[in-house]
Order: sequence, then structure tokens, then C-alpha cells
Amino acid sequence: MNFDIEQMVRSKQAFRRRLANLPIAEKLRLLDAMRERAVIIREATDRESNVVHEESTQYGTTKDTTHG
Amino acid sequence: MKIEEVIRTVNQMKADDVIANYAIGGAVGATFYLEPVSTLDVDIFIDVHAMAGSSIISLDPIFSYLREHACKMEGEYVIISGWPVQFLPPTGPLIEEALARAVEVDVQGIPARVFTAEHLGAIALQTGRAKDKARLLQFIEARALDRSRFEEIISRYGLADQWQKFQQQFLGS
Repeated sequence: MNFDIEQMVRSKQAFRRRLANLPIAEKLRLLDAMRERAVIIREATDRESNVVHEESTQYGTTKDTTHG
Repeated sequence: MKIEEVIRTVNQMKADDVIANYAIGGAVGATFYLEPVSTLDVDIFIDVHAMAGSSIISLDPIFSYLREHACKMEGEYVIISGWPVQFLPPTGPLIEEALARAVEVDVQGIPARVFTAEHLGAIALQTGRAKDKARLLQFIEARALDRSRFEEIISRYGLADQWQKFQQQFLGS
């Protein structure tokens, strides 16, 4: 284990680049897998009623970008 | 649960003339250019035919078609292969242009129409929520945008001020 923060940042960036460069079919499979996991987690948290729902995107509207 | 099935279904809708054209946007669209990021739904922007003899656009034929193809409706979503899919007609000229200029990408033999990276970036800037800004930053950090094409879109759609603020806020310029 190396605690060199710059090395960690570099390795994280390299990992993100590797993921971005995967073939698109592979990336879509990763999305499928992430959604399957999200559904399992959501079902578990729904039972505890601590649910945060993602709002639907309001496309074509402009928000002030100075805040939030 | 397969996004490829969603793409196949939408291609079939186009082949069956239920929609005139489509393009994938949102997080799934961004995944064509960036690393995959977890998302809850698939945004499909559609160009629909106006009703005969009218300029009114109705999404009813789309929902009827999907119901006939055993898809379930859940609120504003249609569930296709386990994915909640939102069919979105363009809500403004930027999205109309993004839809018209979308590119076709081959997904293991399946054609998929996707917004260009520059249009996805401009739409994120216009939409302006925290997660949209994060996505735009991802595009910039990954150098996935043709900067001059992006800035040309930004200036044509009156987003120059937002872009300037974004740069001050996140890029230190």
C-alpha cells in the first residue's frame, strides 16, 4: 500500500481513462451491472423508507450556474 | 437487464415508423464518450411524426406500440428489458439540433444513434444541475470535447454567460 497521494490521483486517472477506452458494448454491460446493483440497494433501502429519489431531468431549461 | 435490448427496441420502433428518429442522451449517451457512470434511467430523445392533418405531437402511438410489445409503463417511464426508459420530444432548439446531428455508433452490430459529445456537453451546461456540471467537467477532463465546436454551439444557443461562469467556478479561468 502506497500513501503517495499524487500517485493515487495518477492511478485513479489512469483507471478512468482505461474505463473510458473500453469498447462501447463492454461499457454498456458495466451500466447494466451497476443498475442491477442499484436496484438491489434501492429495494433494501426502500424497506427502511430512507429513500432519496433522483429527480427527472428538465431538459431545455436553464438554471443559474453560479450557485449549486 | 440489457441496454442493448433498449437500443434494439428503439431501432425497431424506427423501422416500424413509430418514431421518425431518435438519439440517446443523458448518462447513457455520455457513456459512449466517457467512463460509465451509474444511472437510473435511459433518456431517448425522439423525433415524432405530427398527427395527420395537424401540428399536434402525440406520444400515444409510442406508448400503444410499446404496450403491444409487452413493455410495462411506470409513471413517466417505459420499462424495457428492466431499464426505465424516458422518451423525450425535443424541448428546445438545442435539443432539436442535437437530435438532427446525432451520430451513429456500432454496438456489436447494433446501430445506436447518440448525441455528439459537444451537444451532450452543451445540454449539460444548459440544464445546469450539480450532476450536469459534474458531467461537463468529466467531458473536459477526459478531453472528449472538440473545444471549438463546443464553444460554437454554446455561443449560438446563448449559453456564453453560463460557460464563462462555469469556467470561473470549476476551471479557474
